[in-house]
Amino acid sequence: MLLLPILLAIRAAEGDAEIVLRLQRRESQALADLYDRYGRITYSLILRVVRDTGIAEDLVQETFLRVWNRVHAFDAQKGAIGPWLLAVARNRAIDYLRSAGGRERNAVEFEETDHPSLYTDMEPGILASDKARQVKAAVERLSVHQRQVIELAYFEGLSQTEMAQRMGQPLGTIKTWVRTALKTLRDELGATAVSA
Amino acid sequence: MNCTDLRDHYEFYALGLAEEPERSEIREHLDRGCEVCMLEIKRARDLVALLGGTPTPAAPSPKLRRRILASVGAEEPRRFGWSPFLAGATAMCLAAAVYFGGREWDFSRQVLVLRAQSRSQIIELTRLNEAFAILNGADTTVTSFGEKQPVPKGKLFVNPSLGFLMIASNLPQAPAGKTYELWLIPRAKGSQPVRAGTFQTDSNGAVMHMEHAAVDTASTAYVAVTMEVEGGVDAPTTKPVIVAPVGPALQ
Repeated sequence: MLLLPILLAIRAAEGDAEIVLRLQRRESQALADLYDRYGRITYSLILRVVRDTGIAEDLVQETFLRVWNRVHAFDAQKGAIGPWLLAVARNRAIDYLRSAGGRERNAVEFEETDHPSLYTDMEPGILASDKARQVKAAVERLSVHQRQVIELAYFEGLSQTEMAQRMGQPLGTIKTWVRTALKTLRDELGATAVSA
Repeated sequence: MNCTDLRDHYEFYALGLAEEPERSEIREHLDRGCEVCMLEIKRARDLVALLGGTPTPAAPSPKLRRRILASVGAEEPRRFGWSPFLAGATAMCLAAAVYFGGREWDFSRQVLVLRAQSRSQIIELTRLNEAFAILNGADTTVTSFGEKQPVPKGKLFVNPSLGFLMIASNLPQAPAGKTYELWLIPRAKGSQPVRAGTFQTDSNGAVMHMEHAAVDTASTAYVAVTMEVEGGVDAPTTKPVIVAPVGPALQ
């Protein structure tokens, strides 16, 4: 029984690697397989950011197109494609929020996902449902303010200065909350996050 | 700065919160292939990536899969006559990518921007096509709502096979943690409202929202909108802010 999660993770990684290779050979069915594997989680993440089902579907479409066009730079042997896909999805959604809200776009973040090589060597099972439950529980154990700054940063793409304005708190306080929250999450989840 | 100076900033960078000069420093280390920074950023990204799996699970419409495949030329869209245009535009994007792929880095970056714009325009065109399909459908019905009250008001277009399009204005923006949720209200007494998507208004309180699921106009009396917690709920918990009757066919 103890070996089951490991076997499942290995199987997921193998499946991802095969999909990446087929995407690089421009097999459109591989895109369908990628969507079947990550479509729901991608949609859920984007919907959480933009909070509109129609816009979320448009951005999911844009995300998968972007991955289709950039996948040649991904090394199928070095990691799972899921984290990169979600990073692209998050950046597309936040970019939409910034555009819609008249906020400045974060060009560095936007370009980062054009380099999928930085997303390799990640744990294959990082997006598994049991891991998601662990993360959710860890986030819920944060204090209200710590949880709020992490969510504003991840789901709304706010800078620390923007968070200070939104929450009506001094910038130094925001920085302390962010730093403490990240340390707590790293202490609770860091060991599993890098255990691939 | 050396890698030790940057040690406390990797997770801020991965989360998009790093400030200058640390952000540029980390970027420079990554660009020159600094092994320490590459490793630390991958660890930080692992931690941040975990947050991506935490939103409440939600399911997109079944048509989204076909739309995505159609946009890379893998499957013909069934509903519209724009497929040759979409396939052609996609092929042009791919051809442009191949052509410019061998050029200098600066030039290829410009191509990426153009391709992103092209994709956005194709998606926007698809969205407008879907709206026009509902508006022009032979069996589309239209009703107005909220005409005798200051807020909110608009029109509802319902096509039994294509879905519905709601255009509304004067809606207050949903507060943080809240969202507007649509419901199909059955005619039969005692029947439960059916979930039909969520949306947010723009900064002016206006919205143009489409749902692509088929609507049984014979058994549906109203489309209603309530304000609910983010992610939506299984049954409405608040008083509707919009109640639009599913009306007679357009002449």
